[in-house]
Amino acid sequence: MVGGSYAAVPLYRRFCQATGYGGTIQRRESVEEKIARHAKDGTVTEREIAVQFNADVADGMPWKFTPTQREVRVKPGESALAFYTAENRSSTPITGVSTYNVTPMKAAVYFNKIQCFCFEEQRLLPGEQIDMPVFFYIDPEFETDPRMDDINNIILSYTFFKVSED
Amino acid sequence: MSLSGGAFGGNRGLRPVPPEKGVFPLDHLHQCDLEKKDYLNCLKSSGHQSEKCRQFSKKYLECRMEKNLMARQDMSELGFRKETETNGETSEEKNSKRIEV
Repeated sequence: MVGGSYAAVPLYRRFCQATGYGGTIQRRESVEEKIARHAKDGTVTEREIAVQFNADVADGMPWKFTPTQREVRVKPGESALAFYTAENRSSTPITGVSTYNVTPMKAAVYFNKIQCFCFEEQRLLPGEQIDMPVFFYIDPEFETDPRMDDINNIILSYTFFKVSED
Repeated sequence: MSLSGGAFGGNRGLRPVPPEKGVFPLDHLHQCDLEKKDYLNCLKSSGHQSEKCRQFSKKYLECRMEKNLMARQDMSELGFRKETETNGETSEEKNSKRIEV
């Protein structure tokens, strides 16, 4: 099943190229490239950011969906792990898909999701409860951007939508 | 499936960006539940500081790799440095250059 997550990458590259980032099509530096570059440079960061979590379901989506931890305090440049928990409370299997949002918006550009559960359909059996991890990284360049001086909290919000019921 | 971006956050400014390494397969068999619990308990007891619980998040991701729930790769590529360079930095690391914008 290793192929599963690998297969997703070309799809997302195409997605990125189709939608672009800020209208451009060029590929940004990957998170792994950033991590390697900052490790080589010996980058030191000091500011602690509290990453907090919101979870929502759209109307008609019979899942309970919550953040598993209240917050994760992290310094820019440290990759970090967080979880959400979802439970299908209905009596039929439900397939859902989630999207996410990062606020404040001006900080979103520094918030990198290395891997998560979003964008792909997820199917839960009736009564099934599952943990959904998010592995993320705040770019160290956050710390040297004066526009970020007043930001000590970042909120990551996910919303699950129902795709189908079977 | 295609996500045109219109319905999902299209009117919220920055468009959603897919995750770098794709999507985590769900752990339907709960194979890494113990590692997850260890990590979460660590967070609770250490003021939710990610740095203090790095070894547990590392163990969780390693569990995923073992169970084929995550592509295998060297943990240092994901930001888990070797144990030698940790909080007790030498003075040369403390004075290391910060990024100039």
